Amino acid sequence: MVFGRRNRLFKPAGDGFRVDLAPEAREWVLELAEQLSTVLEVDDPALRRLYPTAYPDDPDKEAGYQILARQQLSDGRREAIELMRASAQRDNWTEDELGAWLGITNDLRLVLGTRLDVSEDDHEIDEADPDADAMILYHQLGYLVGEIVDALTLTLPPPTRED
Amino acid sequence: MTAPVEVEQPDLDTVVDEDRPWVVIVWNDPINLMTYVAYVFRKLFGYSEAKANKLMMDVHHKGRATVSSGTRTEAERDVHRLHSHGLWATMEHDS
Repeated sequence: MVFGRRNRLFKPAGDGFRVDLAPEAREWVLELAEQLSTVLEVDDPALRRLYPTAYPDDPDKEAGYQILARQQLSDGRREAIELMRASAQRDNWTEDELGAWLGITNDLRLVLGTRLDVSEDDHEIDEADPDADAMILYHQLGYLVGEIVDALTLTLPPPTRED
Repeated sequence: MTAPVEVEQPDLDTVVDEDRPWVVIVWNDPINLMTYVAYVFRKLFGYSEAKANKLMMDVHHKGRATVSSGTRTEAERDVHRLHSHGLWATMEHDS
């Protein structure tokens, strides 16, 4: 297991979180994030999940949405990757830093899952499959997403609406 | 000298159009984790755990769920926040 010794990799501590993620795990997630940062502007079908359509039935409104949204989404991802770089060596992360790791890890999963064309039932990994290594990576990213979600859920503020 | 001021006539269609709320829809996708989707609903919209889980299960089982509604500007802001969290969200005029 590359991630750490326990299942609780991120624990609320003080104003932030105590991080028990193994150094090599941080390195490979950050390395993937750096790769992502170099292709954010590339017109690649595998990136389509990072820039979804807002107005599927209205090409004019969609064009208007994309003009601003695409740049803002890319900028947000670059800022998140910067937060990852800044926090990678530390064992205490702020909520924003943990949120950045969550967002980019989830983005990496979206790109990899799109490339692999995964379905909801892809839980078994066939070792003979040429994509087996990529599938393992995909599931490891999923594990990390789950761990971060568990930690951030603990610190969500109380609900602000009744409905 | 100035040009005559053109008085803009309200476009009745547009006025009526803008009165109908826009709804924000999240669609099922095979990649995002169920716990992640429920977390994003709670974080972005302040929903209770029960409400967020119900919406997430609607997405999962019915293929889509309406997660917010409002003016076009409000709906577009919510769609953008959902997109920045990797969720597959669209918006449409309520019918």
